[in-house]
Amino acid sequence: MSGPALILVLLAFSAVAFHLGRRRAFAVSASAGGVKNLHSLPSYYGGLTALWCALPAVVVLGLWVSFESSIVENLVVAGLPEETRALPPERLNLVVNDIRNLAEGNIVSGEVVPEMRAAADHYLELRRTAAAASAVVVLCVAIVGASLAWRRVSPSLRARNQVEQIVRVLLIASSTVAIFSTLGIVLSVLFEAIRFFGHVPIADFLFGLDWSPQMAIREDQVGSSGAFGAIPLFAGTLLISFIAMTVAAPIGLFAAIYLAEYATSAFRSVAKPVLEILAGIPTVVYGFFAALIVAPAIRDTGAIIGLDVASESALAAGLVMGVMIIPFVSSLSDDVINAVPQALRDGSYALGATRSETIRQVVLPAALPGIVGGLLLAISRAIGETMIVVMAAGLAANLTANPLQAVTTVTVQIVTLLVGDQEFDSPKTLVAFALGLVLFVVTLCLNVIALRVVRKYREQYD
Amino acid sequence: MNVTAERMSISTPHPPTPAGLFPITRSGPESGSEPWADSGPGPLLESEPESAPGLSLEPVPDDIETVGEATVERPRMTSRNVGVMYGDKMGIERVSLDIGSNEVLAMIGPSGCGKSTFLRCLNRMNDTIDICRVSGSIKLDGEDIHDPRLDVVQLRARVGMVFQKPNPFPKSIYDNVAYGPRIHGLVDGRRETDAIVERSLQKAGLWDEVRDRLEQPGTGLSGGQQQRLCIARAIAVSPEVILMDEPCSALDPIATARIEGLIDELRENYTIVIVTHSMQQAARVSQRTAYFHLGRLIEVGETNHVFTNPRHKLTEDYITGRFG
Repeated sequence: MSGPALILVLLAFSAVAFHLGRRRAFAVSASAGGVKNLHSLPSYYGGLTALWCALPAVVVLGLWVSFESSIVENLVVAGLPEETRALPPERLNLVVNDIRNLAEGNIVSGEVVPEMRAAADHYLELRRTAAAASAVVVLCVAIVGASLAWRRVSPSLRARNQVEQIVRVLLIASSTVAIFSTLGIVLSVLFEAIRFFGHVPIADFLFGLDWSPQMAIREDQVGSSGAFGAIPLFAGTLLISFIAMTVAAPIGLFAAIYLAEYATSAFRSVAKPVLEILAGIPTVVYGFFAALIVAPAIRDTGAIIGLDVASESALAAGLVMGVMIIPFVSSLSDDVINAVPQALRDGSYALGATRSETIRQVVLPAALPGIVGGLLLAISRAIGETMIVVMAAGLAANLTANPLQAVTTVTVQIVTLLVGDQEFDSPKTLVAFALGLVLFVVTLCLNVIALRVVRKYREQYD
Repeated sequence: MNVTAERMSISTPHPPTPAGLFPITRSGPESGSEPWADSGPGPLLESEPESAPGLSLEPVPDDIETVGEATVERPRMTSRNVGVMYGDKMGIERVSLDIGSNEVLAMIGPSGCGKSTFLRCLNRMNDTIDICRVSGSIKLDGEDIHDPRLDVVQLRARVGMVFQKPNPFPKSIYDNVAYGPRIHGLVDGRRETDAIVERSLQKAGLWDEVRDRLEQPGTGLSGGQQQRLCIARAIAVSPEVILMDEPCSALDPIATARIEGLIDELRENYTIVIVTHSMQQAARVSQRTAYFHLGRLIEVGETNHVFTNPRHKLTEDYITGRFG
């Protein structure tokens, strides 16, 4: 029985278990003097039975799936001829891969020999047995679990409390999945980055001014120095983020002030969703827009007034990224401005302040921490943004503050380093992880600061 | 409402004037297009607009059911036939009431009776509510507060307001008080600001408690202190009238007693209108009391008189605790 089918059967079993548990609750209540003498409602007894049916079975299934393939492979290896088993581990691994490919009908490296064919058949047979065995074992566990719970149903069983505890455990498990996957990503990036720092000193990476990641593969190859100074990338990222924020911060903030303080509710109900649609445009579309319309327009305009503008410029990427970020800034700022109590505005109006005086001197100072938090979130979004800069900012690692030249960013370099065939032990590939780590640390810091600032703001007017 | 009590007794020299006998006096060419120009059937009269702003020259329309003395000899503010609509819903209607100089006028009545609505008309705070429409005539020292030539921010500087819940700005105590004088350009330089802050906090009875911590946030004070800070903030711009919307409802009895004492002192220099749910408070602090019911002004008169000898059945029922 295949995995999905097994899960469906398991669901059906637990539905039946729910029904049986509930029925039994009614049955035992009859002798105890009615449902009101049960500790819990009958559906809780049913729920407890269903959970006991499904959860142990799911755990067993999970363990089975994680260990099945290695056990089956070991069995297949054990059945191989003596001389094959004596091969070094890497070669043996290749053989096992071939057998698996052969069994699944994929392309096999090298010639198919009769021993391999036999091993592949053995492999297939073991897989079939394993699938059948897993179905039997899992369903047995389900039935045993359900019947244990079913037998325990009695008026004094605290089914309600037990269901509550099981639900709590499930919720904890779900949240730990998110935490552990974050942790896993961080650790994998960290370990690869440490491997990179084994090749290139960390100071050279963080403070080097020269970025040229092409490594010489052969001794006599020319023009591939392999310099990993990341400063030009950080500078390019900062330049583009700065341009983006100079566009997004004032426009977004002013839009938010207008929407929150001046606009009629009819206008706001239209304008706010439209502004938020900007956030729903895929970044690759912004990328087209930047590369095909904005960048040439800037270049042509520059040519008219006699400026030398690269056809892929930091300005184009930054402007378009700024437009992309406007809805972040405006939406977050709008929320915090709306959260400023009306009583503060009334207090200001009652002293004879005009609307703009009230906004400047009362509303914005009160909302400022929240607005700063929103801006920091927008900056971390700008730093991590990839698609627009890949398409519009260029690849040349120029260390320049001139927005009319092409620059490159951390994210662009990660993309170019990891696209295509790569050796996974060369510094050229590993540096992508180091860059990713830096990016992660920077955005994490910004997010932590932003969250702290926003939290502090919540305590502001109480 | 079946009103059989005695009709309004008018203390002005003029007898009640029939509607339409005098032309409606309105200043400003565009006043007809303003929402408040729609002032209902009552006559809005001002026979001698330039003379003696201290005298009540406007007769009260005689078709309303208010009993008692709605007018006074030397009014600071006058309202005639004031009505407020929130969309289609009536807030108050046909309220005609004078507020005398240097008196404390208490407005009482059950929840939702329109007393806060009327209070907010007096400095046009209702303008901040989109759906709210005010009709009728309200005058401050003889000037129509809805006159398009009159700047609403100037009006609010002259008619200050203290709210139900203390609402200090999230700024320092000093900046809270200095806010009004600064936006109106009443102060020039740090020393004048210092002086006005100190004077206002002293008048509000808060100076001794906060003199050493003027730079700390106003939100860090206790509730009663915050409310006195709001009063200091209101008097820092030297208003003529201070409107108080249940200023003690969020405070404990001791803080309430301090505010009530303060109101009594402030009466020397300011005209005060206070909305309150506490009849004891109205009796303690006010000289005149107005009783509102379902958006109408039912009875108004000397506080002693209203509380000891109410003339209207509804007033009597309310102050004897039969409802409300």
